[in-house]
Amino acid sequence: MADYDVIVIGAGCGGLSAGALLARQGRRVLVVEQSGIIGGCCSTFEKEGFRFDLGASLIEDAEVINWCFERLGTSLPQEVDLVSCDPVYDVILKDGTRLKYPISSEESAKSIGAVAPGDVKGWHAYAEYMQGFLDAALKGFFVAPANSNADLVRLFRKTPELLRYGPMFVSSYQGVIEKYFKDPRIRESIAFQSFFGGLPPNTCPGYIAMVPWSEHAGIYYSKGGMIGIPRALERCGGKHGMTVRLKTRVDSVIVRNRRALGVVLADGTEITSDLVVSDINAKLLYLEMIGEEHLPWLARVGIKSYEYSMATPMLYLGVDYTPPLEGHHTLITRPMEELNDYWWNVYKKGRFGNEHFGIVSWTSHSDPGLAPEGHHVLVLTLQPGPYRLRGTGWDDCKSALTEQIIRYMSDRYIPGLADHVKVAELSTPLDFERRLLSPEGAIYALRQDLTSGVAFRPAAKSKSIKGLYLVGASTHPGGGVPTTIASGMIAADLIQKYE
Amino acid sequence: MKKKLLIAGVALAVIVYLKQPERKKRFLKEILRQVPFLIPRYYA
Repeated sequence: MADYDVIVIGAGCGGLSAGALLARQGRRVLVVEQSGIIGGCCSTFEKEGFRFDLGASLIEDAEVINWCFERLGTSLPQEVDLVSCDPVYDVILKDGTRLKYPISSEESAKSIGAVAPGDVKGWHAYAEYMQGFLDAALKGFFVAPANSNADLVRLFRKTPELLRYGPMFVSSYQGVIEKYFKDPRIRESIAFQSFFGGLPPNTCPGYIAMVPWSEHAGIYYSKGGMIGIPRALERCGGKHGMTVRLKTRVDSVIVRNRRALGVVLADGTEITSDLVVSDINAKLLYLEMIGEEHLPWLARVGIKSYEYSMATPMLYLGVDYTPPLEGHHTLITRPMEELNDYWWNVYKKGRFGNEHFGIVSWTSHSDPGLAPEGHHVLVLTLQPGPYRLRGTGWDDCKSALTEQIIRYMSDRYIPGLADHVKVAELSTPLDFERRLLSPEGAIYALRQDLTSGVAFRPAAKSKSIKGLYLVGASTHPGGGVPTTIASGMIAADLIQKYE
Repeated sequence: MKKKLLIAGVALAVIVYLKQPERKKRFLKEILRQVPFLIPRYYA
């Protein structure tokens, strides 16, 4: 008899949701995590009295997360203390124009009208179209397996209305946005979200253009830090007997006759199981922890062909003043063509620009308890940064870069910042890789476009190794807190069906 | 005849591609670059 029914590698949101749901099915589940903390990208760490979110700084599509908790016999509001963030963004455009996007669509229309009256009509048309797509996507796409053609047929049978949105799948993010909005400033104000799909506006698939709208269904922050969500999943799983072991690094997956039979830990200990669920990067799993020799040649070519998703440096700041910002999220953006140009001519050429943009998350605005009294927490999610920096290394330029970013933000967007920083820590793509074992610091594991998505993304039920299931950003539906939790639900359903 | 039609079809596709704005060309180029991997990825 195996030591466990299921071993889950990685305690990210995907691994914990799958583990908790499988434990509720009555299986003996062990979750092993290499770091000393759960949550993966959705985690929180403490430094000198300040609590910083490692990656994710909000949740949207909370409905999907709630479904997971409902399956666990509870609900999201019961398990996590959520704070609603309104407005969604205070946007600062390159020319200094400020534009607020409140949760209310009507209020957002008024904001748009103040800048570009001609685009109000476009906003309403965009909102209506995207709401239809969002409803269809939530009904089927997000929580249905996409392993095979048969799965896709089932998906479209269940939600035939998805076919209406086909044109978005063969268009770019930029193409969709430009269809609805004519004023370059409005286009600029919703251009940056293409990076939530991991690509610039001219390359990102059109369906990601749903994101700036889906945020209007409500965005939330977990009080005490984003780790509140994985902690709730761990707690729910624990009630059903799920065990989480931290600082336990898996060296390899035991595979015999193309069947996963457990794991070997870094210290040489073997733990056997009937099933293995992986919440780590699929390329790392198949090529290093399993080994090419166990893969059919076609799968080997497929796995090797995936490109890692983009990397993003993050700057964690503890400050001793109230920053002159408007709310939880300030989006500092650039015109659409500049974002494209940055991607192809700066990022792709191994450089990290000196003119910074990205999202400033003032998390202590939503939860003052994250910082000592009179102090605040700011987390800057900066523009994409290449893993391999041309002419220097991230470790070599880290200190000078931290100073330069603080000075730049202080001079242009957050007056007084440079004089009030008490704690500063820059997390580079290299740090991200070290901390989370995410190759090349990729924040969404693998590139997310039409050719690496849905049935072309590594399958949730492995097609090469029996008894192996994938969750997390590497598999359908991709990177993000609700989507990785959805991947956990998909894997739990597949296991219940097949094992 | 078939050969002429094929050549005309390819020429038309090239002309249509060249007439596209830069952002569309980039989008198509990126998809085309990944097309050879679609079948292997389906089995991944």
